[in-house]
Amino acid sequence: MRQYQTWEEFSRTAEKLYLADPMKARVVLKYRHSDGSLCIKVTDDLVCLVYRTDQAQDVKKIEKFHSQLMRLMLAKESRSVAMEMD
Amino acid sequence: MVLLESEQFLTELTRLFQKCRLSGSVYITLKKYDGRTKPAPRKGSVEGVEPSDNKCLLRATDGKKKISTVVSSKEVNKFQMAYSNLLRANMDGLKKRDKKSKSKKSKTAQ
Repeated sequence: MRQYQTWEEFSRTAEKLYLADPMKARVVLKYRHSDGSLCIKVTDDLVCLVYRTDQAQDVKKIEKFHSQLMRLMLAKESRSVAMEMD
Repeated sequence: MVLLESEQFLTELTRLFQKCRLSGSVYITLKKYDGRTKPAPRKGSVEGVEPSDNKCLLRATDGKKKISTVVSSKEVNKFQMAYSNLLRANMDGLKKRDKKSKSKKSKTAQ
């Protein structure tokens, strides 16, 4: 299990982990209002990446990342967006 | 596990957040979903009737109550807007970063 201190590193690695095998990976969010803490975890049951925070500025980043992954899951075509083949 | 429509899921999720304000955690899980409703058979590789590629499963719990919903690409735009607003509005108990503003209080900002 790998805990990340920087958001940049976490989001890059987490996205790669998802793209490696979209069906295996899952994203978990844990919010505790009483502690004022938010934790995001991305795992494929082999590798586990975690980012914890208590900073309000991270909420937007985490929420955006979560939505980004959701969009990736919902993309109809299996070919990547970058490669546009006719 | 209660499977709900996306709108209802959002309502229930709001309730979960409100319930857990004083104590407890809210867990949200997001996973890609291929539309299967039966477990994969051990013998014979009979694929599920419709292996769809554009759905995801959203689950939420407070440790006791469980809710879930399936989101497909058709509802994604409307749902995502409402969902993002919900998250941002409810996850508001984190520390605000005001170290910078405190030190700049005596100095006038340019």
